[in-house]
Amino acid sequence: MIKLTTPTRPTRLDELLDARFVARLSALDLTSRKVLAGKMKGERRSKRRGESVEFADHRQYVVGDDLRHIDWNIFGRLDRLFLKLFLEEEDLALHIVIDASASSDCGEPSKFLLMQRLCVALGYIGLVNLHRVSVTAIAGLALGPDGQPTPQLMSSVRDLRGGRRLADLGRFMLQLTPGGPASFTEACKRIAIARRGKGVMLVMSDFFHKEGYETGLRLLVGRGFDVYALQVLSPQELEPDIAGDLRLKDCEDADLTDLTITAPLLKKYKQTLAAYCSRLRDFCAAREIIMQTIPSSVQPDVVVLDYLRRKGLVQ
Amino acid sequence: MTFLTPLLAGIAAAVAVPTLLILYFLKLRRRDVEVSTTLLWKQAIQDMQANAPFQRLRRNILLLLQLLALAGALLALAQPEIRGELTPGQELVLIIDRSASMQSTDGSPDDPRARQTRLDRAKAQALEMVDAMKEPGLLGSAGDRAMLIAFDTSADILTTFTASKAELRRLINDISATDSPSSFAEAFKLAKAHLRRRIHIDDREGGKAVTFDEQTEGGALVHLFSDGRIPDLSTIRAQREDQVVYHRVGRSDAWNLGIVSVRAERDFNTPSSVSVFVAVQSTSRRARTVDVQLSLDGRVVAVRPVELPAAQTVTAAGATGPDAAAPTDAVQTLVPSVRGAVFELSRAEGASITVQLRHPDVGLPEGTLTGEDLPDPLGVDDVAYVILPPARRLSIAMVSEGNFFLTRLLRSMNLARPLQVVPPSQAQAFIESKDLATYDLVVLDRWLPTRTVDGTPTLTLPPGRSLVLGAIPAPPLGLTDQGEAGATVALNWRRDHPTLRAASLENLIVNKGRKSVLPDNVGGATVVLAEGQDGPLIIEAADITRSAIITTFDPVQSNWVFQSGYPLFLVKAVEYLSRGGIGEDALTVRPGSTLTQRLPQDAREISMTLPDSARVPLVQSDAGDVNFGPVADVGIYTLAWQGTPGPQDATDGTTNRRTVAANLADPAESDLASADSIALASKVVQAQGDAQPLGARRLWPWLVLVALAVLMIEWWVYNRRVAF
Repeated sequence: MIKLTTPTRPTRLDELLDARFVARLSALDLTSRKVLAGKMKGERRSKRRGESVEFADHRQYVVGDDLRHIDWNIFGRLDRLFLKLFLEEEDLALHIVIDASASSDCGEPSKFLLMQRLCVALGYIGLVNLHRVSVTAIAGLALGPDGQPTPQLMSSVRDLRGGRRLADLGRFMLQLTPGGPASFTEACKRIAIARRGKGVMLVMSDFFHKEGYETGLRLLVGRGFDVYALQVLSPQELEPDIAGDLRLKDCEDADLTDLTITAPLLKKYKQTLAAYCSRLRDFCAAREIIMQTIPSSVQPDVVVLDYLRRKGLVQ
Repeated sequence: MTFLTPLLAGIAAAVAVPTLLILYFLKLRRRDVEVSTTLLWKQAIQDMQANAPFQRLRRNILLLLQLLALAGALLALAQPEIRGELTPGQELVLIIDRSASMQSTDGSPDDPRARQTRLDRAKAQALEMVDAMKEPGLLGSAGDRAMLIAFDTSADILTTFTASKAELRRLINDISATDSPSSFAEAFKLAKAHLRRRIHIDDREGGKAVTFDEQTEGGALVHLFSDGRIPDLSTIRAQREDQVVYHRVGRSDAWNLGIVSVRAERDFNTPSSVSVFVAVQSTSRRARTVDVQLSLDGRVVAVRPVELPAAQTVTAAGATGPDAAAPTDAVQTLVPSVRGAVFELSRAEGASITVQLRHPDVGLPEGTLTGEDLPDPLGVDDVAYVILPPARRLSIAMVSEGNFFLTRLLRSMNLARPLQVVPPSQAQAFIESKDLATYDLVVLDRWLPTRTVDGTPTLTLPPGRSLVLGAIPAPPLGLTDQGEAGATVALNWRRDHPTLRAASLENLIVNKGRKSVLPDNVGGATVVLAEGQDGPLIIEAADITRSAIITTFDPVQSNWVFQSGYPLFLVKAVEYLSRGGIGEDALTVRPGSTLTQRLPQDAREISMTLPDSARVPLVQSDAGDVNFGPVADVGIYTLAWQGTPGPQDATDGTTNRRTVAANLADPAESDLASADSIALASKVVQAQGDAQPLGARRLWPWLVLVALAVLMIEWWVYNRRVAF
């Protein structure tokens, strides 16, 4: 929970994604509960009829249809022209939204580090399976014109495809500096407006947004994404280890709260946290968002190979 | 409630309270912690505040508790007291009755079966009072001081005014009951003597009159712890400012059977037959029967039941109390019933007689007990002792020209052999003959043997015991005769002397006396018994070989011969001399008084054996007296010495013994009903209730305890709040 003064920042890609993990990820592919239309030719079955080898349906010939697709066997039997339709295989759009606000940079181990690693891992899966991978970071710091880090609303990298683009993804992730207040609703609105096509969206955040996460998530779902939500909480947020008379300062908006840590207060805090997570889960369930809460102390391979596989994001 | 040191507490409060508040503010400065979000914490706090009642109180409950504890400590520092009867710096006189009646076992008012003595109860009350005494304040204000007096017949100052509670407690615990009757006068005088006086200084030059009250405040606060059975209360004049507080112990319905008188007398004609008279007094409101048991030298010889009727309550109507302004209504007085028992014995030798009351053994009834249900609470008056001297008849010789009255009187005294009357012409030869030693006593009527000392003939006493009438022996065992004198009356005489106790000299007029003076160097061997205008009228003189009672005037030359006192004096003098200077009732003594015995002048290694078998060595005075006292316990006191025995002393050749009996035999002391009030000569003092708060109750220890308790609660609350 407590913001670390010297957080661990990975500087190289293999710190985010080591070789053994890569080996295990290579066998996985992304799935979607919905059959979505892609954009380019890919390896996933699309809603469209196209030119794969897999038969889909027949339909009556109309003038202008490609004669190559007429089913001549049926014409011979019935003396009527039918067109053979085949399934189209297209790519899948994977959009990862990562919360890079100051609150993500808290906890030991850092929540942001876990989110970075998950983002790279899932991005790798998407890239090697020829899906379109986009990553959007909400908030975060960027170097301004004066060389000072200034908060920004969001930053993103888009439409990466193929394993070669992993380096681009890694660069983006490594230059990402968490910080600044998150404006979750505004960022979600931008993401929803700027979306191209439909796809799978994974939102990773602690969802501790004072403005509320509801509007943002509703916007994302409303644009036809198959949304997964991953709530990452630090162990210190789950089991606070602070004591005494404290003045708590919110690292995002510098809001101050005076309190004396007492046993009933800690009990109340845990109740409040459980209620908050439960409310989030209920909200997600009502909108077909698959939601999972994970502590930042778990390893990314466990999250990917266990949690997300069970939730059906990868297989 | 008052505070002894409010200033100190105020200063401490002025320092401590702001300090605590400042400390609390310092404590409220919180550690800054940057967290990911305050969202959940705010919600948690809001929820808790919404759910918890007394939010404002709860927020600062630790401060409140600390302030409470501090307030307790500060109040304790101010030393608050609940005021009772005492005022600051009071001087108390605690007077504790230790007389025989305080041995009664009805002291515990709540549990009659406990058999606590009245003295124990009185001591407990006195200890309570000592505990309630104010201790000196921290800033030097004076504490209470107490003086402790214990009294029975006499009074002892156990300590003068002291503030040391430990000392007072120790001394109170050391008080033990005696078998003596009670007399409050001496104790009260002692108390008054030690209280400070008011000094008035009229400073005319300074133009103002100043009164220094040497005593800090108020008058004497005399606390009397007693059962109120004190006969001489009516002689005590308490002044207006003297506050006498009477703390009553014992039950007002207590009863008692006691021996109030015992006497053994030999028959005049047959001295070997002895009558023992025992008087038993009952203050019970029920008729009671008691066995009177008589023992001779420790052997029981007779038991006689005595039936005692119930004591009667007499109402004296219209009686007026000593407070003239407040005439009391009808006064109820309990008149004890007295019955006697007579034992006839036959015994020629001397003996010690023990009379004892044997109560029938009845158990205690169930339920609420009244005083009448309890057994006789006082044991000390259930036993009495009499020393019976051996039966003896006297042989008397008389030198006289012929005194008809004297001859008749002496002849009537049941003598061992007929009275030998020697005329003065043959007296000198008689005195110098060996015959003289065969007589117990010689009566010399206006004659004394003459001896030549330094060439001049002087009158001297003959050897042995003699009663001299109308002649003055010369010093050293006598007086310096200064010739004839005129008429005189008796100005002063020893009323307590055995020879004069019955013979009043009030109406004595000596027509023709002699002027004489007691030489300075005579010392104690010659004692003046009666004194007139021109010198001694009656003297007693004794040395190792001689003892005599001498009247310096001729009784025939006075009106004494026509008065009944004269024959009484003669008979008592004869008996006194023949017993070797021991009075008729000198073998009994009352507890509380001094035991005085005259021993032969050559007595050595004198010791006294007490009833509890302890031996006390005694020293003889110049006059031949030994004194022991005050006698504390009833029982037999045995005096033993080496040398010549007295005429009636038991002897085994080397060691001589004389026994003296000490009996309570006091009707007033045997009346145990605890008095509701004591009537002094000047005021009536009502008894204080047993559970009356006695004085200032110090509260600071309680406040410190409260402060400690609050601190513990504060610690608990704090721990409950921070515990994980």
